[in-house]
Formats: sequence, structure tokens, C-alpha cells
Amino acid sequence: MTSQESMIERPEVSPPEPWAFPQAQRSQLANGLAVVSYDVPGQYVISVCLAVPMPLEREPRDREGIATIMARTLDEGTALHTAEEFAELLERKGIALGAGVNDAGLIVNLDVSKRHLSEALDLLSQAVREPAFPANEVSRHVKSRLAEIDQERAVPGQRAAIEFIATYFDPDERASRPTGGTKATVSAITPQDLVAFHAVNVVPAGATVVVAGDLGDLDVVSQIRAALGSWSGTAAEVVEPPEARRAADAARVVFLDRPGSVQTEFYIGCPGPDHSVEGGWAPFQVLGFVVGGSPNARVDSVLREDKGFTYGIRSGFRPRRRGGMFLTSGSVRADSTVEALGLLLDILDKAREGFTAQETKAGVDFIGRTAPGRYATADTVAEEAAGLSLEGLTTEFTTANLLALAEVDPEILAAAYGRYVDGQWTVVIVGDASLYAGGVRGLDRGEVTVIPA
Amino acid sequence: MPLDYKIAERTLANGLRVIVSEDHSVPNVTVNLWVNVGSRHEVEGRTGFAHLFEHLMFQGSASVASGEHFSALMSVGGRLNATTWFDRTNYFETVPRGAMDLALWMEADRHGRLLDAVNQENLDNQRDVVKEEKRQRYDNLPYGNALIDIYAAIFPKGHPYHHATIGSMADLDAASVQDVHDFFRCHYGPNNTVLALVGDLTPDEGFAAAQRYFGPLPATASARREPVEPLAPLSEPVRDEHIEDVPSDHLYIAFRLPVDDTPEFFAASLALDAIGGLATSRLCQRLVRREQSATSVSAHAMGFVDGISLGFMMIDVAEGFSADDVEAAACQELARFAQEGPTEIEMESAMAQTERSWLSSLASQEERADHICHFATLQGDSGYINSFLDRFAQVTPAQVQQAATKWLMPQSRAVVAYLKQDGDTK
Repeated sequence: MTSQESMIERPEVSPPEPWAFPQAQRSQLANGLAVVSYDVPGQYVISVCLAVPMPLEREPRDREGIATIMARTLDEGTALHTAEEFAELLERKGIALGAGVNDAGLIVNLDVSKRHLSEALDLLSQAVREPAFPANEVSRHVKSRLAEIDQERAVPGQRAAIEFIATYFDPDERASRPTGGTKATVSAITPQDLVAFHAVNVVPAGATVVVAGDLGDLDVVSQIRAALGSWSGTAAEVVEPPEARRAADAARVVFLDRPGSVQTEFYIGCPGPDHSVEGGWAPFQVLGFVVGGSPNARVDSVLREDKGFTYGIRSGFRPRRRGGMFLTSGSVRADSTVEALGLLLDILDKAREGFTAQETKAGVDFIGRTAPGRYATADTVAEEAAGLSLEGLTTEFTTANLLALAEVDPEILAAAYGRYVDGQWTVVIVGDASLYAGGVRGLDRGEVTVIPA
Repeated sequence: MPLDYKIAERTLANGLRVIVSEDHSVPNVTVNLWVNVGSRHEVEGRTGFAHLFEHLMFQGSASVASGEHFSALMSVGGRLNATTWFDRTNYFETVPRGAMDLALWMEADRHGRLLDAVNQENLDNQRDVVKEEKRQRYDNLPYGNALIDIYAAIFPKGHPYHHATIGSMADLDAASVQDVHDFFRCHYGPNNTVLALVGDLTPDEGFAAAQRYFGPLPATASARREPVEPLAPLSEPVRDEHIEDVPSDHLYIAFRLPVDDTPEFFAASLALDAIGGLATSRLCQRLVRREQSATSVSAHAMGFVDGISLGFMMIDVAEGFSADDVEAAACQELARFAQEGPTEIEMESAMAQTERSWLSSLASQEERADHICHFATLQGDSGYINSFLDRFAQVTPAQVQQAATKWLMPQSRAVVAYLKQDGDTK
């Protein structure tokens, strides 16, 4: 290697080209279903997302998880086809159909190559409008969910998440219990329950179907009308649930004892905003990056790159339909548990003192300039639009939020962080309590409760 | 179905293959480099080294500070990472067009001048990080080591695929700064690397930029060895049983498969789809839907280049059923498939799902660049992304049956079983 070879000058970065989130075409069918489409040339797999608002609070207390079981059984037998026939119809056309729920509603996803779109929409329509909930398929999915609950308890990250919501939220809140329900409530779900829950909740009024992809030569609205125009049903009375309340004793440490763990899992949180927060969402996105969004962020620059305690710990603001949380999670080498937790909480607390101009610019530019790539594919566009629709927002929000990044400065970041982060942490730890619970108590970070994992 | 993603290729004087795929749909460029070195090149006592080395590529080079690869590129809108696998190591970033030159400059610096920055402190730190990666992804999870057990059960000791890419703790501990120097000198260099640039640029712009930053690097990598001798299917079953504190019994039923990118491999992977991969697969229909003796069945084919590939099925046994009975049923279905061959509907379904998932995987510039590098590096063909589906579609039902008869027979299986401690099966 000659010195000349290593002397190629470091190139300057020129400003990014203009870019805008794909343009939406909006219309509404007579049955109240909103139709939103995005033409994204070159995207040959079309993504369809149907979003049906359905706050989890609508689940009967003794049947929690019913929305999840319903989502999983929509295509397990319909008025016209058995479960096996339906699966075959999907696969012969290479259609991927899935469904899931979050705190705000049901989202059904469909991916299909352009030439099979109309068959796919017909099958989507059958699954959404005419699911049969056959007893055999329902009991199979109930058993499968029960097995899944056992799996979740055995995986430290998932175990921590379940305990976190139980500790963080007031026990009267639906949000304090798993979206997919508990063993007791899932076991009780019957086909009749599903039929009744589906009838009042899966209705077109208020729902949004998003179609994204290379839509040239396609009349999307006609195709949606043909598939879903005859969908009917009366919506349940729209009651907007308020923000879920935090438990009175949420600021404490729960140590789940998992003997022999070679790592310790942390799940740490405090309140945060939702997308509609006054002053805008943009600062919170930037904060997630600056505090815990990369190997060079505040958390991992110490815990990973300096100490070597972890493969990576992530922080971020997680919005819900109403309200939200600021969450930090990840795992560390077992014998670093006490030191790592102390360092981590110190970093999170100290961030209230503010952020540098360089950190702020890096965060703003990362969020803003990665947007073209993050929203380049049909599925990401459709998912963004569908998710926002459940919050009563459109992708105008996405665009406005990206523009608002330009206003974010260190003072705004510090104010946004300080508005929510007050040191009242809910801390859940999954690890070997016999070795480390004493040390954690010694950190004096709140009452420590040890329970079996 | 013919695809027509633009592909232009040029090889620099130092051996770097540069492939440009022009696509102006987004004002970004993906920079993707594949180095033809993976865990299959590791020597005994140094397992996990290719991956540990990949981590060190982020700890600075002659003109780049430790950690700067992430910080400098992310702060101008880059998304980046690197991965290591049996056959290769790749490095990639997607950046706004105006940051492409910076990305290439930084890549050339570490791919050409890494050793100036390697030191004991960096090595020790990233060794710790990699050990936490291993604990997080393998050691602290139920069934976390199942894949590692599969590789060890189905490939003979000393074979390039016998050990997992993550390696062993003892070997990670043994890695020295000298190993880093030796590995870099042997395996890294433009003559063992493929560079793909995908996105908002013309071929001429891409070739000129590649020449500017990579052109001065000397062709330092050693010649690649020939692929090792092909392996035949297992002649009798192998079993590796673990009684552990797991929530349910899991069976991993693995097979050797033909080498990647051959009609035989495509046929074997179609057979595996029909037996256990599709939602309408034979095992899913029988075990999950009808007998309900399993809560899920899945199947995967992993194409490799060193004389053999791997296929496996994962069966999650339902509460109250015996893992032995479920395994016996799976063996029945394997034998039956080999005897009958695929149905027309199975062929249609497996082809249709392959087509959609292939098109989905080409939807983003990032993944497209990765596919381009993959096939250029390991199969030689930079235009593979356009021709794959046509080649796949030529596989006949007779070839699928033949592949199943040769590779997917019950006697050729290796079974890794994770069984619950307090066996409450009947």
C-alpha cells in the first residue's frame, strides 16, 4: 500500500434529492368502506391491507384474546369453502393472507402478484365477510394459542414484555393483559363467541382498505367494489376508549427469577405520547434514535461499544391509539446485570439534561433521509396507511411529520424528553435472581419484587 | 415470467466485479459487497472467526475511526449492516444518492486498509459483543441451539458445514490479533469481492465511482480452493436427543440436499415445500389440521455451494401426543411422497408461492442488490435475478419425485429432538 493510495480525499455528501411519500387516491364505497390506493411503479407484488377499528376494550373480560383467535380463523373455513379448500385456493395463486390485531383494531394483510389480484380480493372478501368459524378449526387455534402462551413464557424477551404490561398498567385496564389473551380467557372461547364478536365488529363502516403497488392499468376502486361492495353490517356503538391508566405502583422493579440464565433481560419504561401529541411526533422519533437507535446511540455507545455487555439494547417511543410509552429493552451478560442496569438507568435519566446539536442533526437526518428507502415498497406503504387509519390519521401525517423534522432542535428535544421522562421507571428483569437480585436492590432504584419466571 | 431488471457488469483490473442495476424509483443507492469467505473457510479451533472478523470491520480502518462507519452513514440517512453465513460475508448500506461516494470511500478503506486500525482492545470488545449475540440468539432461548445441533448431526466432523457460523465460545476466546491479520490477508481483497450498486445511478456513474475508490486496491486475496467433495445422502438415520426444560416437544427432521443452483436442488426444495413447507403441505394437512398432533410444521431448504445443501422440517408436537408417533407419521408421508411424486396442485402451489416470494424479495433495492451479489459471487451469474423464475419453472414433477426418492427418504434423515423434561406424553 503506498501512501498515495490511502490519500483519496474523503468525499463530501451532497444534499438529498426531493422525495415525497406516494400520493394517495381516496374514495369511499356506499357501505362506508374507505378505499385508499398508492401507485408505486415497479412494485409487482401488490399489497392490500384492510384495517378495521376495533379497540381491544371491546373484548368480553372473560374472553380476552377473542380478537386474536378471530383474526387467525377468518380464513379457516368460510360460507363457500372448508379450511383446507380455502388454503389451497390461496396457495395455487401464490397469495399470502394474514391477519392480526393490536390495541386499536384488526389488520388483514394480503400480498399477491398483480395478475392474481382480483382472485385474491375475492378470497379476502370471503374471509372477512363470511367466515364460518368451524368448531374443529376454532378448537385447533385455541390449543395452538395455549401452546404459544407456554412458548412466550419460556422466551426471556417475551416473558419480560408480558410482565411489563402487567406491572405498568392499572390492572383494570385491558392494556395490562396480553393482546392474545391468557390461558383462562382463551380456553373459554367458542365458535358462537366468534360469530357474535365478528358480527358486531368486522363491519365496513369506519374500515379502510389500502392497496399499494404497481397499479398502472388497474381500476382499483372497481375491483374493491366488486369484492367488498356488498359487505354489510351494523357497527357497534363507537366508544373511544380513553388512554390506558398507569398503575399507581408502577414505578418499581420486578425481577423474574429464571435460574441458570446466561443473560439478563431488561424491559424498562415510562409514559410517552401518541402520534397526535401537541407539538408534534417528530421530536420523539429523533429521541428514539439518539438515545437508543444505533450502536453509537447513548445507550449502546456505553453498554455495547465500551463495555461489551450486550449485543444491543434499543430505546424508542411506542405510540398507542391513545397515549404511549417510552421503552428500552435488551439483554446483557448475566454477570454484568447490576452494573449494566445502573449504567442504563443513569444514561436514560441523564438524557434529561439535554442533547448536543450534533446528536440532534444526526437524528433528524437519519429519520428524514431514510424515509424514501423505508417507504419504497408496496407493503411498507400499505402498512403505514392502514396502521395510521386505525388512529384516525392518514399518510398526510407521515408527510407532515417528515417536514416537521426540520424544526427539531436540541431545545425541542430536551423539552420533549423532559415532558415524559421523570425517572419513574417501571423495570422488569428476567434473569437469575439468586445471584443478582441483591445487587439490584443495592442500586436503590425502587422496591424490588422477586417472582418466579 | 420474464423479469427485466437492468444489469450492467464490469471487472476492474484488480479483479473487483462491479454490477450496476439502474433504478430511479427512489433517490437512493444500495451499496452491497459480498466477500467469498464464510464459516466454511474456518479452520479447526477458530470457529466463529469469519463472523467476529465482520464485527471488526466496523471498528475503524486507516482513515475511518472506530464506530464511524455506523455514525457517519446513519447521520446522512444511511441504513447499514453486515452478515456472515456459511458461504460468504456481506456488507451493505442504502444511502441517499448524494452519500454514495462517502459510502464507497468508507467501504474501500476497510476492505483495503483495515489492519491499520485493528488492535487488542477492539478485538476484545467485539469478542464480548459477539459472545452476547450468541447468548441472546442461541444459548438463552428454548431450542436456541437446534440449528447448531442439526449441522453437527448431518454433516461429518471437519466438513465445512459441520459447525455453525456463530462458532464456539472457546474458539472465540482463542482468537488473536494475529488471526485477524492472517484472515484479512488471505480472504479480503477486490479479487475475492463482488460490489453491486443498485438504485439512482447509471452504469457509467457506478463503474467510475467503483474505479475511483476501489481501483487503487491491490488484488491481495488468495485463490479460492475448489469445492469439497460432494456428499451423498445419509445412508442411515442419525438421532440427537435433548431432554430439556422446553415448553413442548420439537422435532427437527433434516436432510442433505443437492448443491445449490442446480435443477436437482430446485426439485428437492419443491418436494420439501410439498411435504412440509406449504400451508397445504402433506404434513400440515395430516398432523396440524386432521390429527392435530402438531401445532405447526414448517420446512426450509438452505442452498450451499460446497458439495451439499441442507433441508429441514420443524414440527412442534401438540400437548398430549408422542413425539415418536409424530415422527413415524412424518416418515410415512416422506415415503409416500417419494412413491407418488407431487400432485398437479402441489406443483402449482409451490411454484406460485415461489414466484410471489421471489418477486417480493426483489421489491426493495436492498434485497435486490443482495440477490445480485449472491449469485454473482457464488454462481457466477450477475443476471440471475431475471432468469431464476424461468429456470425454476422448468422443474418437472418427475424431477421432484426423483429428488425426493434420492434425498428425502426416511432412512436419510437426521433428527434433532428437544423433549420436555417431565414427559407428560401418552
